[in-house]
Amino acid sequence: MLSLPLLIWQLAFFLFPLLFLVALSFWTVRNFQMQPDLDFGNWERILTRRAFWDAYLLTALLATASAVLTSLIAFPAAYAISFKVSDRVKQWLIFVLIIPFFTSYLVRVYSLQVFLSDAGIINAFLGFFGLGPILMLNTLFGTLVGLVTLCLPLVVLLQTFSLNFVDRDLVEAAHNLRCGRLRTVLMVIVPSARVGLVIAALFAFILSFGDFVSPLYLGGGNPPTLSIMITDITKSGQQWPRAAVVALMMITTLLTVAFLAIQFAYKERGK
Amino acid sequence: MTMTPTTSDAIVKLDGVVKKFGDFVAVERADFEIGRGEFLAIMGSSGCGKTTTLRMLAGLEDPTEGDIWLDGERVNGKATWDRDTPMVWQSLALFPFLTVRENVEFSLKMRSVGKAERAERVHKWLDRMQIVEFADRNISQLSGGQRQRVALARALVTEPEILLLDEPLSALDAHLKVRMQAVLSNLQKDLGITFVYVTHSMSEAFSMADRVVIMSRGKIEQIGTPQEIYHAPRNRFVAEFLGSANIFTGRIVERAGENWMVETDYGRFAVPASKAAEKTVGDSVSFIVSAENMQLGPESADIPGISARVVGEEFVGATAMVFLETESGEELKVQKGHAELAAIDHRAGASLVVHWDSEACHVLPAE
Repeated sequence: MLSLPLLIWQLAFFLFPLLFLVALSFWTVRNFQMQPDLDFGNWERILTRRAFWDAYLLTALLATASAVLTSLIAFPAAYAISFKVSDRVKQWLIFVLIIPFFTSYLVRVYSLQVFLSDAGIINAFLGFFGLGPILMLNTLFGTLVGLVTLCLPLVVLLQTFSLNFVDRDLVEAAHNLRCGRLRTVLMVIVPSARVGLVIAALFAFILSFGDFVSPLYLGGGNPPTLSIMITDITKSGQQWPRAAVVALMMITTLLTVAFLAIQFAYKERGK
Repeated sequence: MTMTPTTSDAIVKLDGVVKKFGDFVAVERADFEIGRGEFLAIMGSSGCGKTTTLRMLAGLEDPTEGDIWLDGERVNGKATWDRDTPMVWQSLALFPFLTVRENVEFSLKMRSVGKAERAERVHKWLDRMQIVEFADRNISQLSGGQRQRVALARALVTEPEILLLDEPLSALDAHLKVRMQAVLSNLQKDLGITFVYVTHSMSEAFSMADRVVIMSRGKIEQIGTPQEIYHAPRNRFVAEFLGSANIFTGRIVERAGENWMVETDYGRFAVPASKAAEKTVGDSVSFIVSAENMQLGPESADIPGISARVVGEEFVGATAMVFLETESGEELKVQKGHAELAAIDHRAGASLVVHWDSEACHVLPAE
């Protein structure tokens, strides 16, 4: 009986909307009016379009690149916070990492435009040395900078927490068995913290895969990602059913990636 | 004074070693040698500095003062990965993400030992520790005793001259503990290498070690064979730590033949003068009488002794430890065989006289 509220919550806020989305994807639109229907045309229309698969591939690549890049950039910071500083400093650094969440992501992205644009801060700086301007705004690079900005604080936090749980005896035992510092990081610390590190990367993937702001305001929105494609479709002729198809493809992808990532994270070795 | 390592059979030499963590002095001063092939136990209660001493040998801590010599080489500042001092952790510190085989193989890989030789040496040690059948298992699938054997195999696979052990048996139940003690003892004898074994357990230390170092609050209280320490504790701390001795303190008031007469709170007792030859009349003296050397008799007995009331009894195998309380509330311990005790009414509350043969006294030299 205790789980009843949870069940109601799940039904009301997850399963029911999802089922509605599935139903919606079979509706038809006539004269800008949606009508309940059981029409496979929306699915056929979207899944046979080259533009959809281009956007799908781009979005998946961007999310993967963001997850990998963010994880790589975050790890040295998380490692230093977890292993190299005193408890007092650790508390302050974790507090500092929470501060970015106080500011709206949109505001942070707009401020990045000031850095990345042709006449922006970075190019002005390069100009001093007679370099540039380098095109950064409205490129994939710009999108990636935005996605890393979005994910970095969360990934550093998640990695730090998972590194905090690494048994310090294991680290010393590795050293004692002649494993040097860098090798210990790769051979002992990373495998010990694997679950947390994979889940941190998974969060980066999920956030980046569905993100709309960076691809639009830093990447220029062209070529479109799936999120941008959804807004385009809904704006053009009330095509909510077709947008639902794209959304369902995204949800299926995220569920699959999350499932595989967690399988990988918890994979047991040996017999 | 310049100190050079002795060329004798010492493999480890601690020379005025001090370790401080900020203001906290973990090891106040350690000066001792460990012989090649010796089984040395470092014993003390938690926080006495025994683990810190071991960690300094392993290269996991660096001494604040003093020198550590390993096999004739001064190793201060030498990282643990450059030393040949494998350690077995209290938590065992086995790598949970590696199989048994990969755990044992670890340090061979770190030394770039070739694949074929690795396999051979790993197999030899798995076999020796009787865990070959678990080679491809996960650590989480092993029992406590099996994990212990993996930890030993992992530490010994490089065939070091010295093995450091930090309370490795503390997680095992009593029965398994005794069995693993035998395993460790035999292993050390067969290999002929040095074991340095840290423990808070007297029974572990005394049953396995050739010599025992007793530490308290960062200081070494006594070093000696288990026999020496048991029969001749150096000071009050060691005597109390062993737990089976009655300690008396008093002042020498006169000489009576071969004995000093010592005035204590319980009365006047004879102590053989030969056991406190450097003392003279007026000196304070502390002596112990171990529980098994104490005698119990009915109160009317016409023997000089201490009147005390029985407060309890504890079985110790074939004997029992009787606890008594004197009028001033001090505790006395008497250990006797069950048959002997049956002849005496020693129910709780019974009043008895405790006495001993003066030859059974041991004078604490450092008091």
